Amino acid sequence: MLKMNNISRIYQNDTIQTHALRDFSLNVKAGEFVAVTGPSGSGKSTFLNVAGLLDNFDRGQYELDGVSVQGLKDDELSRLRNEKIGFIFQNYNLIPDYSIFDNVDMPLRYRGFSASERKRRVEEALEKVGLASRLKYLPSQLSGGQQQRVAIARALAGEPKILLADEPTGNLDSLMARQVMEILHDLNKGGATIIMVTHDPDQAREVSRNVQVIDGQLADFRVYAPLDRTKGNAGETIFNAVNEEMADA
Amino acid sequence: MRSDSMFFYNLSLAMQSFKRAPTLYFLIMLTLSIGVGVLCANLALVNSMASDPIPEKSDKLIHISMNTWPGDQPPDEPMHILRYRDAMKIAESDIPKRSAVFYASGVYARDVESTSMKRFDSDVRATTPGFFELTNAPFAYGSAFEKDHGMEVVIGDELNQKIFAGKNSVGKTLELDGELLTIVGVLKSWVLRPLFYHATEGRAFNLTDDIYAPLETAIDLGWSIHARSSSADNYSGVEDTRDKNAYYLQVWVELDDVNQRSLMQSYLDNYSQQLKEAGEHPLATRNELHNVNEWLSVKKVVDQKVLAFTIASVLFLAVCIFNASSLLLSRFHAAKFEVGLRRAIGASNRHMLIQGLTESVLLGIFTGAVALVLSWLFLKLSVQFLPRLANIAVLEPKLLVLGMLLALITSIASALYPLYRANRYTISAELK
Repeated sequence: MLKMNNISRIYQNDTIQTHALRDFSLNVKAGEFVAVTGPSGSGKSTFLNVAGLLDNFDRGQYELDGVSVQGLKDDELSRLRNEKIGFIFQNYNLIPDYSIFDNVDMPLRYRGFSASERKRRVEEALEKVGLASRLKYLPSQLSGGQQQRVAIARALAGEPKILLADEPTGNLDSLMARQVMEILHDLNKGGATIIMVTHDPDQAREVSRNVQVIDGQLADFRVYAPLDRTKGNAGETIFNAVNEEMADA
Repeated sequence: MRSDSMFFYNLSLAMQSFKRAPTLYFLIMLTLSIGVGVLCANLALVNSMASDPIPEKSDKLIHISMNTWPGDQPPDEPMHILRYRDAMKIAESDIPKRSAVFYASGVYARDVESTSMKRFDSDVRATTPGFFELTNAPFAYGSAFEKDHGMEVVIGDELNQKIFAGKNSVGKTLELDGELLTIVGVLKSWVLRPLFYHATEGRAFNLTDDIYAPLETAIDLGWSIHARSSSADNYSGVEDTRDKNAYYLQVWVELDDVNQRSLMQSYLDNYSQQLKEAGEHPLATRNELHNVNEWLSVKKVVDQKVLAFTIASVLFLAVCIFNASSLLLSRFHAAKFEVGLRRAIGASNRHMLIQGLTESVLLGIFTGAVALVLSWLFLKLSVQFLPRLANIAVLEPKLLVLGMLLALITSIASALYPLYRANRYTISAELK
């Protein structure tokens, strides 16, 4: 689904050159739920931005759902973002004076769907996150958890191939965070591929794979047993390696 | 289907954007409206001054200036007014297709059947009958008088409105300075901008005349000359000018082509030379023929001050665009988050550019509407200070279209740099 080989991203100003990603390689298969962890400034968000085609990279190869993104024009990159990627941000990034419906509808507008098709998709997406009855609400009339669920609905509405979540529970209390994580797990069970940047080690242990980024490089990855909270086995490591090529395997 | 839906979506986004920052957009609109309005008002003046008043034959209508002054202090240039016998010499030539010899006068007019004694101060054109066909004067009722003599007149629409409420007044009798003359024709509303047939003495922007009377009749009745005149002889009144060196008649001829023009020039030069040889004047032969636009140019009908002010208006508009652009830049900067979000969820640079341009076009339409109102106000204001502009301070339909186009162009121009900057934002920078 997502294949990065030796990706480098360098930020440069007049005096300083910062290597945000160095020879970063990662392969995420369809249906995986990958947690990306690492200290602040390690390059997690840069990785997510590059993965989401929100930022360029300087070297390396990146293939998304079989499409090599190097050399693609802005229109083509935008279409890839629109059709294949759903973003979930820490700050929800809802437009405050748009209704919930209009917020979820936004990406569909750029897809060229008819009004009836957009309506069906928006309602279905909001149904999935349990907010079908709040179509006309403004974001400010919802709790933080509900706003993040709207953001998830917006990401889902276009039926993307992959969901990229940047600390989706970072602004939520534990109860709301739990609800959001459950939705993400449900989506993953339904076949969605998810890459989630998180600082929360518990959340990282809940997912099928945790990769750690340090100094812009993949430092470690762990593969966990399938989550079964009822049996309390969350976080049991069944595979651990530092060799990224093994991760690909 | 898709582009239609995006068009309406972009329109709704533009309206939403206006609602979010109404004060800022009002300032932008006002800034651009003032710039466009001032320029449009100036262009309206220049347009009236510089336009061709009779495009269908402006190159064929020729004004004649001659150099036959008999005195010892000749004018520097050939005179645009001729004495009676020079004018008649031209009128009797069979070279021109048509000719018109006339002078401006004025009378008080009233309907003899009216119970009111109110008289209307009326401008008179005392002219030969060829004037009407030569100038393409439009008749509403009746026709032109056919002879130079006769107690007949043609009246203009404005006077007909004043005295006869716009009805067909052919056959009615007017009392003009105590004389009774019958109306044989009524003109439609007739606007000539500039008034090419009398572009001298600052009259180029006067209205067309109220009354057109046969030349010989006006002279016989002693209707005084209401325009520039020069005379080397003493005379008691206009009726005494036919054989005097009194210069007051303007002459226009209609010549079909350059050959006729050349023939006319030779005719005038021969005539002038004969006068010189007969000792009637000591001057070098110098007769000038100018078609309508040449004549308006020679008479400097386009006011140089208005031209200068128009250039200043263009510069002022450039400053307005710069200011509007700065305001829009701040607006776009404030909207960075939304730009980033839209780009992240699939809007391309092209989408954002079209969205921005739609907003600019909508703003341009509002700006155009306000600019045209301001333009009208500026023209009204200019007439207050410069009353002579009254008849040219008009917004013609083409100026309304031009004003709207200018507003659209300036609105788009002011958005170009902010849009360029917005399209260079790093998408991820505003999203967390």
